[in-house]
Amino acid sequence: MPLIRLANVSKRFGEITALDHIDLSIEDGEYVCVLGPTGAGKTTLLRTIAGLLEPDEGEIYIEGRLVNKVPPEERSAVYMFQQFALFPHMNVWDNVSFGPFIKNWENDKVERVTSEILDMVRLGGRRDALPSELSGGMQQRVALARGIASGARILLLDEPLGALDARLRVELRSQLRRLVKDQRLTAVHVTHDQEEALMIADRVVVLRNGMIEQIGPPHTVYSKPQSIFVASFVGGANFIEGNLAKVEDSGSLIEVRGGLQIRVSGRGGTIGERVVVAVRLEDVSVGSGEAVGSNNLSGRIESATFIGGSIEYTIRLENDIVLTSKILLSDAFKAYKTGERVVVSFLPDRCYLFPYPKIGLPKEIEAI
Amino acid sequence: MVLRLTKPASLSESIIWVTLGAFIVFVLLPTFYLISYVFLRWNEVWFEVFANPIIGDENWKQILKVLFFSFRLSLSTVAFDLLFGIPLAYVLARKRFRGKSLLEDVVTLPLVIPTSGFGFATLITWTTVAGIGGLIGLRSGLIPLNSVVPFINVPFILFIVHVALTFPYIVRTVETKFQSIDITFEIASRTLGASPLTTFRNILSPLAIPGIFSGSVLAFARSLGETGATLIVSGVSSTASIAIVRWTSEFKLATASFMGSLLVIIAWVIILPVELYMGRKARAFSFSYQLPTSVTKRLMTLERFASRRLTRIKDFVPLIVVAVTVIVPIVVVLNSVILYWTADPYTGKVQGGVLYQLFGPSNYFASVLQATLTSMIVALTSTYAATCIAIPLAFIIERRWYGDFIRTILKVPLIIPTSSLGLSVLLLWGSSGLNLVRSGIWLIILTHIVFSVPVIVESIVPAYEGSEIQMYEDSARTLGATAYDAIETVSLPLIKGGVLTGFILSFTRSLGETGATFIVMGRDVTVPALVVNMVEALAIPAALFTSTYLIALSLVLLGIIRIITRR
Repeated sequence: MPLIRLANVSKRFGEITALDHIDLSIEDGEYVCVLGPTGAGKTTLLRTIAGLLEPDEGEIYIEGRLVNKVPPEERSAVYMFQQFALFPHMNVWDNVSFGPFIKNWENDKVERVTSEILDMVRLGGRRDALPSELSGGMQQRVALARGIASGARILLLDEPLGALDARLRVELRSQLRRLVKDQRLTAVHVTHDQEEALMIADRVVVLRNGMIEQIGPPHTVYSKPQSIFVASFVGGANFIEGNLAKVEDSGSLIEVRGGLQIRVSGRGGTIGERVVVAVRLEDVSVGSGEAVGSNNLSGRIESATFIGGSIEYTIRLENDIVLTSKILLSDAFKAYKTGERVVVSFLPDRCYLFPYPKIGLPKEIEAI
Repeated sequence: MVLRLTKPASLSESIIWVTLGAFIVFVLLPTFYLISYVFLRWNEVWFEVFANPIIGDENWKQILKVLFFSFRLSLSTVAFDLLFGIPLAYVLARKRFRGKSLLEDVVTLPLVIPTSGFGFATLITWTTVAGIGGLIGLRSGLIPLNSVVPFINVPFILFIVHVALTFPYIVRTVETKFQSIDITFEIASRTLGASPLTTFRNILSPLAIPGIFSGSVLAFARSLGETGATLIVSGVSSTASIAIVRWTSEFKLATASFMGSLLVIIAWVIILPVELYMGRKARAFSFSYQLPTSVTKRLMTLERFASRRLTRIKDFVPLIVVAVTVIVPIVVVLNSVILYWTADPYTGKVQGGVLYQLFGPSNYFASVLQATLTSMIVALTSTYAATCIAIPLAFIIERRWYGDFIRTILKVPLIIPTSSLGLSVLLLWGSSGLNLVRSGIWLIILTHIVFSVPVIVESIVPAYEGSEIQMYEDSARTLGATAYDAIETVSLPLIKGGVLTGFILSFTRSLGETGATFIVMGRDVTVPALVVNMVEALAIPAALFTSTYLIALSLVLLGIIRIITRR
């Protein structure tokens, strides 16, 4: 039995539909990341699970119990805000012991639990400090400790790393995951940072306009995106418009601008249908020589951008399509200069085939 | 767009009903009863005001005369305030200098000082030999009591008192507005080549218009409703609010209540558009006026020149206004108390000394003690009761859809003339209305609750809005606190500062209130009302002492506010 189950949950704010018939099951002990752009409904989803919002439609079950009308304090799901929401008038100890205290546990149990958890997050020495005296990282740990101390089984994390600076954010990802796993908690973690979601989650839920675009393990979401949006939002890709020219056993042939053909291993659709081919940046390789064979296209380097361990080229093909290629420095045979003639190539089985979106390709990707 | 993402934590329904009930009975009804009274007794009003068998519509003519005089006084006061208040607000908002917080305190002082005491200090300072006149060796006051300000034709002393009492509203409101405007706009304008004055005209003033506007409304309403100081300095001229006091004491209740309702309605008409406008904060103020290019160019040259030459003047003239209207009277009254301590310094008579009047046959000291006791009981009881109503009311304002509406209504007791308010309370609870409470201490308390509730609510609401209560409360809820626990352990401690500030502000206001108290007090005299009585009995040294005593009391309270808000 799943620990949390949402069945057909919808939530509207006036004209805006924040959640649109969401079905989602989360297993006990799972670490789930909800990924989506701003306004996708991530926070609303989290708040409905916490009981801070009541859904307009649908049911929410926690441990098999219908909790639509159950107040937040009885759901054993603790909500952690991006700003941590440490009570500013209480010191670290009072903040962490808030849950046990308010639930009227025995005094010595309150003491024991609080000091154990404070030691666990390595803040035993700062129990008298006020939240304002702590660094961002410490505040985050206090907020986590407070949640865990309350005896909650579910952690609802709303951009838990969002208020920290970039380096700390990356460092704390694995710590956060380890803590959740060690304590055998279930975490629902909301973020707009795809790298964070892919790295930390057991399963990723991609949310868009209040609807689930895709659910799956990080690897699957990345390597088998089910929509243009997911391909673009998770990892990013080149998108090439074309028409389906031919369907064979081994795949399809797509005719793109300038009469060129691209071979992809995906199949489906009717001949002549408008389609979009997506290719990941790192799947586009750049070489010199002549363009011979399928998926080998010639063009000129338009710009080369050095980004740490890799280099990003934008290449204008002869048919005026612009592709971006990302090559690890260690894999780069030579550095190409702007204006240099090159041949780009990509494997058919690295191409994703999608029907052309109704709202148009630019709009489909723009939301990000 | 800001979505209110969380469902308001459910306040217990019964608390809401009790609070709303208390709000209606103790704040709403007393505020608006006057108007319904006039409607209910329209025949009486008609005969007394418009169709008196003996004097005809003489009372109506009086009302009009008094109203026009009040308007002339209030409008010219606001104009003067704006002229000097805006530069001062700018300096306070943008410059850092030594003694800035002291200056802010001095500017705010007239809001805290009991007005009758302050009015008396101003009167002494300008028109009597004990004031500046005596200090510079004249045998009379510096300015005769009846001399008028040229052009606007209102008595000088009345004008200066009203400026002092309304100045803080303009300065503090505009200052807050200036502070909320990002300084980078000004920096951008300056680096793009505009002089400081051009920047002020083109960038800052259009953005600050809402603040200037609401400050003006507050100042205007305050001037229109001022009673305590006006009673003392008005001499032969009469403003609308003191006309109400006079007519009430002459039992011309119909005329007084008609006048009072007119003032309440005027206050409404002024405040409502401002509130509606301010409610839509998101909408940028478009203040577009197009001057011909040639004029603009000449204006900019002028501003460039003036920016260089006028800086000092613009910084110092407003300071002089503050010094002359606020500091000088306080210093003079202190000085006079010392001069008159044992005997009248001019005639040498012991009977003219403070000590004789306090402890002599008239025994004013006993009256002062008695009045202090009354004032303290009134201030404590009314402030306490008001706090009990204000805390849940602030929560309702923040969390219910009708909250904004309540907040707007709460502005009314703050701006209607206190004498109208007093009359309204008297008519509601007294013998001509519900006949539950007679004039005296209980009626004073009921009157003070009416304006104390909004004062406290207005200090709690910003504290509430400034501290993300909703987030902390949500957090507490998911950690296992019930709605009630969350309020008790998290929200209330977070707004504690606001409650305390509101408590002291309301306490101070109750301590200094004169206009309404005068109407409802009966035999239970409060300290500010005692000052008025003393002045009317020409017991000047006793009045000097009592005014000083009142001012000292409020300064102590102001000090306490400072300490609390600094934390």
